[in-house]
Amino acid sequence: MREFLAFFEKPKSDIISVDSESQQIRELAAFLKKRPRSLFSRSIAVRMIDCGSSNDVEIEEGLANAPQVDCERFGIHFVASPRHADVLIASGPVSINMKTALEKTYAAMPRPKAVVAVGDGACTGGLFKDSDYVFRSGRVDEIVPVDVKVKGNPPSSYAIVLGILKAGAAISKKR
Amino acid sequence: MNGANDFIKSIKKNSTGISADGALIWIETDPIAIVDACDACIGKGGAFDSAFAYPSSNGKDWTVAYLFRVPKLENIAIVWSHAKQFYSISGKIPAAMWDERKMAETSGIRFFGLSDTRPIVIHPESYNLLKGKVSASLPKKQKELYKTDYAFRGTEKEGEFEIPVGPVHAGIIEPGHFRFHVTGEEINKMEVRLSYLHKGIEKILVGKPLDKAFPIIEQISGDESVANSVAYAQAVEMALGIAVPKRAESVRLLLLELERIYSHLADIGGMAMDVGFYAVSARFAALREEVMRLNEGVFSNRFLRNIISIGGAEETASAEEIAALVNDMRSISEELSRIEDLALTSSTFLDRVFLAGRVSKEAAKELSLVGPAARAAGVSCDARKHLPYGAYKTNKVIEHMAENGDVLSRLLVKINEIRESVRLIDAEIAKRVKGPISANIDNKLRNAKSGLIGVGICEAARGSSTFFLRTGKNGTIDVLLIRTSSFRNWRALEKAVMTNIVPDFPLINKSFNLSYSGADL
Repeated sequence: MREFLAFFEKPKSDIISVDSESQQIRELAAFLKKRPRSLFSRSIAVRMIDCGSSNDVEIEEGLANAPQVDCERFGIHFVASPRHADVLIASGPVSINMKTALEKTYAAMPRPKAVVAVGDGACTGGLFKDSDYVFRSGRVDEIVPVDVKVKGNPPSSYAIVLGILKAGAAISKKR
Repeated sequence: MNGANDFIKSIKKNSTGISADGALIWIETDPIAIVDACDACIGKGGAFDSAFAYPSSNGKDWTVAYLFRVPKLENIAIVWSHAKQFYSISGKIPAAMWDERKMAETSGIRFFGLSDTRPIVIHPESYNLLKGKVSASLPKKQKELYKTDYAFRGTEKEGEFEIPVGPVHAGIIEPGHFRFHVTGEEINKMEVRLSYLHKGIEKILVGKPLDKAFPIIEQISGDESVANSVAYAQAVEMALGIAVPKRAESVRLLLLELERIYSHLADIGGMAMDVGFYAVSARFAALREEVMRLNEGVFSNRFLRNIISIGGAEETASAEEIAALVNDMRSISEELSRIEDLALTSSTFLDRVFLAGRVSKEAAKELSLVGPAARAAGVSCDARKHLPYGAYKTNKVIEHMAENGDVLSRLLVKINEIRESVRLIDAEIAKRVKGPISANIDNKLRNAKSGLIGVGICEAARGSSTFFLRTGKNGTIDVLLIRTSSFRNWRALEKAVMTNIVPDFPLINKSFNLSYSGADL
């Protein structure tokens, strides 16, 4: 019975899957149009952590700050410390050497908080799910609860921005 | 091959057998004579490139191979020997220290005289997270390695403080740990600890079919996807004796240079960002995003992935699309000139970058640095020029150098290299190479013998990367060992930050812009 209930309690994560970049921009625009006003819809402090990706996801996160995408216009700003952050964006697969760092970073964040898993490695373990040097299957949700999954190898900056905005909406519900 | 004969003659006294097969010079030695043979290679103008250990074909011993780039022969010399224990060469050739530490940890070989035996790949604190079958298969001696905590070099002087930084840093960056030793603001010493991103790439590649390895190779380092793929493809092509068609070589050159352009743009923009010069950094970021979009528009992938294949490349861009690249190159170099003027006429910017983070020419030679880091210190090391491959055999590359080895030198070298890349792309497009884009390799792959060896060297944006391949049965990978440019250059950072102040560290780090993932594998 408990297991049965636990199935329902398990946090369900929102999945953004890759398609063309134009598709992702349309999805982002649609989300922005109907997003409700809430505490975390127009000011989201984001801390990123790389738990084992090649640097592709980090490049796309960095380019979310480039003038073409400019995530600050949606109220998203990257902060230096997890203690300042509302949302954690984690890329993976989570290597054994980074497992503790991920736990500590998540623990250092104030509540309410949300986590976005960015990239195929973080969502599914990707190519490395059978590697001996990633933690279990390498998924981020094996270690910390994940609210939004953004798939892609790597996902575009727009998809990452959409993932962060959805995570902001998820925190509002947690309060 | 007259020069090769001279080279061989001079090293002969230390070796038990020498063979040269066009692209490689194999120098077999006794495990005892290996140090002298390596030293002789350096004395004859070789530069230490990498060291690899793999199980010998007799099944009992380990083979250790030290690779040296020999520019004057346009060749690679490999000093090798097989045994269970070896003498460490890192006393005489300090550049080999990390390579030997890694070999000692991953293979269990004992190196006599290796002064630093701390584990470098798996962290002792996460050893118990290793999956059961790996930790069970480790020899007892290796388990001992992980029993004690990692010992950082302690403080030495009175009044000296330690500042631990990382693995999670302030910016949008990968994880690594830096341990500073400071008195006041000045850095006396810094120690790098990496491998947070180690995910077992070399292990997971074992047994994979040769032509199915590219998705994993592209995960070594996102912004070196093309360079690593080309280095791997070249290793396979050398092992199986595959000739690459001219048009494939031409496409490879375009991809490599485009990758260099977007990679360097990020570095320079990052340097401006780290001194707080946002007007310049935003424009570099915008220009970089433009190049990434150009990549997607022409080659269907922002990171230029899924294009390189063994024996050639995939057909992704039409001839018209490639010809149109010339216009994009012109607008890139015009915008670059405008931003460059903005940056290099600012006295506050120049004040921050001039003579910050110096690496002397001696240090660059001692650590056998590669890429812009070495060229900024006045060490010539461009694999495109010294060990030309593919379309670089016909397109002569002009190597841009500087003398000071500081942040400004690296910045100028990178700006000049972007211009050189633009020139190379223009020159290659003007040739309008026609023909097939891929060699027919199915037969060669299927009938590949096991035990064939190939070495691929390719100049990535950060310097040359080396792939060492031994084929297995039925066209699979038996051993694939990788030394990326980042792995070779990380130790330069330890030298560069000495006597600088802590707030300058992000700037100095960005001027190298090394890949953590590429070094950790």
